[in-house]
Amino acid sequence: MKEKLSKLIENLDYTLLFAVVILCFYGILVLYSSTRIESMGGEPFFYVKRQFLWMILGFLFLTVILFIDYHQIERYSTVIYFGVIVLLAMVIIFGRSTYGARRWLSIGPFDFQPSEFAKIALIIFLADFLSKNKPKLDNFFYYLLPFAYTGLLILLVFMQPDLGTSVVYLAILIIMLFTVGVKIKYLVLTFIAALSSIPVLWLILKEYQKNRLLLFINPNLDPLGGGYNVIQSKIAIGSGGFLGKGLFSGLQSQLKFLPAQHTDFIFSVVGEELGFAGAILLLGLYAIILWRGTRIALEARDLLGTLLATGAVAFLFFHIIVNIGMAMGMLPATGLPLPFLSYGGSFMISNLLAIGILLNVELHKIKW
Amino acid sequence: MKESSTVPEDVKQRLNWVLIFIIICFSVLVISLWYLQMIKGEELSKRAVENCIRSLVEDAPRGNIYDRYGEMLVTNRPAVIVSIIPAEVDNLKELSKRLSKIIGLSEEVIEQKVKKYTDNPFKPVKILDDCRKDKIIEIEERKSELKGVVLEVQPRRNYLYHELAAHSLGHVGEIDKEELQRLGNPKFQGGDIIGKTGLEKYYDDILRGEKGGKEVEVDALGREIALLLHRKPVPGKDLVLTIDRDLQLYGENLLYGKRGSIIVSNPYNGEILALVNRPSFNPNLFVSGISYPDWERLSSDPDYPLTNRSVQGVYAPGSIFKVVTAIAALEEGVTNRKRKVYCSGTFELADQVFTCWKELGHGSLSFVDGIAHSCNIYFYTIGKELGIEGFSKYMHKFGLGEKVGIDLPAEALGTIPSSEWKQREHKQIWFPGDTINLSIGQGYLLLTPLQIHSIICAVTTEGEIYRLHLVKEIISPDGETIKEITPEVYRKVDISTSTFRTVKEGLRATILKGTGWRANVKELSIAGKTGTAQNPQGETHAWFMGFAPYENPEVCITIFIENGGEGGEIAAPIARAMLEKYFNTQK
Repeated sequence: MKEKLSKLIENLDYTLLFAVVILCFYGILVLYSSTRIESMGGEPFFYVKRQFLWMILGFLFLTVILFIDYHQIERYSTVIYFGVIVLLAMVIIFGRSTYGARRWLSIGPFDFQPSEFAKIALIIFLADFLSKNKPKLDNFFYYLLPFAYTGLLILLVFMQPDLGTSVVYLAILIIMLFTVGVKIKYLVLTFIAALSSIPVLWLILKEYQKNRLLLFINPNLDPLGGGYNVIQSKIAIGSGGFLGKGLFSGLQSQLKFLPAQHTDFIFSVVGEELGFAGAILLLGLYAIILWRGTRIALEARDLLGTLLATGAVAFLFFHIIVNIGMAMGMLPATGLPLPFLSYGGSFMISNLLAIGILLNVELHKIKW
Repeated sequence: MKESSTVPEDVKQRLNWVLIFIIICFSVLVISLWYLQMIKGEELSKRAVENCIRSLVEDAPRGNIYDRYGEMLVTNRPAVIVSIIPAEVDNLKELSKRLSKIIGLSEEVIEQKVKKYTDNPFKPVKILDDCRKDKIIEIEERKSELKGVVLEVQPRRNYLYHELAAHSLGHVGEIDKEELQRLGNPKFQGGDIIGKTGLEKYYDDILRGEKGGKEVEVDALGREIALLLHRKPVPGKDLVLTIDRDLQLYGENLLYGKRGSIIVSNPYNGEILALVNRPSFNPNLFVSGISYPDWERLSSDPDYPLTNRSVQGVYAPGSIFKVVTAIAALEEGVTNRKRKVYCSGTFELADQVFTCWKELGHGSLSFVDGIAHSCNIYFYTIGKELGIEGFSKYMHKFGLGEKVGIDLPAEALGTIPSSEWKQREHKQIWFPGDTINLSIGQGYLLLTPLQIHSIICAVTTEGEIYRLHLVKEIISPDGETIKEITPEVYRKVDISTSTFRTVKEGLRATILKGTGWRANVKELSIAGKTGTAQNPQGETHAWFMGFAPYENPEVCITIFIENGGEGGEIAAPIARAMLEKYFNTQK
């Protein structure tokens, strides 16, 4: 054990770890700026305190993960997958609902979102499945199997309903499939099939989901309703200029023109209060994480490690791009949070779990 | 210890592609950020400021309008507007239902109005204009259940005498798209009230004043945080008209039930004492947006109550025009005061026969008697000798076919025929018969009553037409004179005094022994000319123009009764009544 610990300390990817820690504190600072007024009546640190606790918990999980050689997941991946399925089913049945969607499960005083943990579970399950079946994936039937597994998860979150999260699952799947080396022809075929099913999907989509897509195309359709978020967010980011208006001084953020500014639209607060410089710093930290993550995937000892790392990178990357793109009005408002910054316990933990996976793969690129 | 990796090469290849994709995506993000923050930054930070700074406009009260003796004609009254601030509404359906019960507007209409707000959800959306008092009280009482409903008080134009001088005063209304584009300087915004017609339009810049307003900082819920700026509105300036309310009212009554105009002015300074147009309309109907049925009724009325006949209507002048013929003939030496012409009742030109209005003829007539009896044959004779070129020259001298320069918008020019005009408009040459018709003011000639009036002004002053105007002075809201309108010679009519004197003699004779005898009153020495103009619309137009007193003129008058009948029979008595009224009040 002692030897193991020293090995661990010796081989940890500190660049990655530092970037994550800095990001977490950056996030706490921005979160404080965006929530201190809202909770002024009560407690200015209400959100910050909770977020901090989740962060500690996340780092705890991360540390635990480091001690488990990732090769052991072969044994558990199926259990993890089905466990998540059960949790998601429970959400639909017993879930606590907010804003018309059931997303939370309560255990004692804690509310958590199984759909967030399902992202990690999906990464693990797919990495295991794909690494074992790589040669068979040239067979179109085998190629379709991961779609079926992921599809089941998508179906369950879709019923909550949560469009954004189901798209994340799909993104993880596609990037992992691409990386494992499936035929490009198959991917193109899938893409075409997906395109042609859009009209059908349109019928399945809930009214508010359709509206979101329409509002993405033209936010001014409804300046007070859904489009309002995007318009206000663009105004906030743009008005930041190079150095920003300073923490606690954003007109848009502090006067509450920004909706969901501590969750989905927290990037707008960064843009307004810390400006281009602050946003670039943030993007730089993300870039370090993704760059280290990709390196880890490339240098992994085996395919399983590569795929685990790829899945984690895909997860974080997709969230970053979609969230920031949405805040700048380039992508539809899908309600995806920004890693390490957006307020939310389950999401914070799943982010740190992904980092744990990366560190783990890095640690075990050599046999102990 | 290190072992070589067992990761297949093709996977590493694919991973590199993933990395490239990530780099591309990040580059796009950075570039977009640069564009949004560094290039569009300034514009967007302005919007961020606008977001939290709410400008509230305070309308300036429009200036009042008084008659020449200081009697108030137009002022403002407070009107209460019921609006809804969309951002403050919790439950639109419920609110619409409650409000509907009070103001009587249907729920759906209220809902639709609120849903259609344009830009700023904090800007009140007008639901009901000019709300009745009892409803206002009810809204005030139930304010707690009507969250989002606001009452605003706005000054509203009030035309105290309704139809009185409506065409001259004009009316105000909400600025329309076309006006907004044309005047589109920062002064104006949609929803502004501006003068649409009449003096309200002509003097809009003076009457309107300057909007005031305040800028307040608000949070996203629209709550006022701080007052940043407050600018008081500058009230519009007042107008004192040249109009005499009582004389105007008297004239309006004289023309009640008729179609036509009365113009009374002082020829020596151009001040218009009365400008009557009938039928008239109530400008108050327009101030808060005219209702469709009202508009339908006014615009489809065959009597055209909205038309300012004296300024915009063009009519055949008939015998009144003989004054111009007479002056031209004297000046050109075609005739002189001694020349006599025999009237047999007919006048032959080639194979055409022109008749006098007196079938049996006037016999031998002098120049003065020719005017007095309005003998067509006399004027055919001198008109024929004068020729169309002679007419053109003198019509031009009187400014016919041009604006008289009154301070009202949309003056009509009339139709002044000439050989070139006929060639252009009708592709025909000018026939000698056309000149014969023109010499008695018939045929193609069309003039506005105001143009006719400027002829009589020129005759009265013997050569000077003062600019006809309705505004005497502009005063500040506290009564100080800002600008006095000084009399201005608008046109000098270059004609010899002797010619004017001779014609005036004829005009006096018209009243004493000629066609204008019905205008004769012992106490007043009136001079004038009647006209009975044939027109394609039906019954003849009745005309009268004149001045009084003959020896020392004070006022000029023009009467026009559309399809009214004979000038001497219909127009002359109205002129007499009007002048009697004028001189009685002068004493």
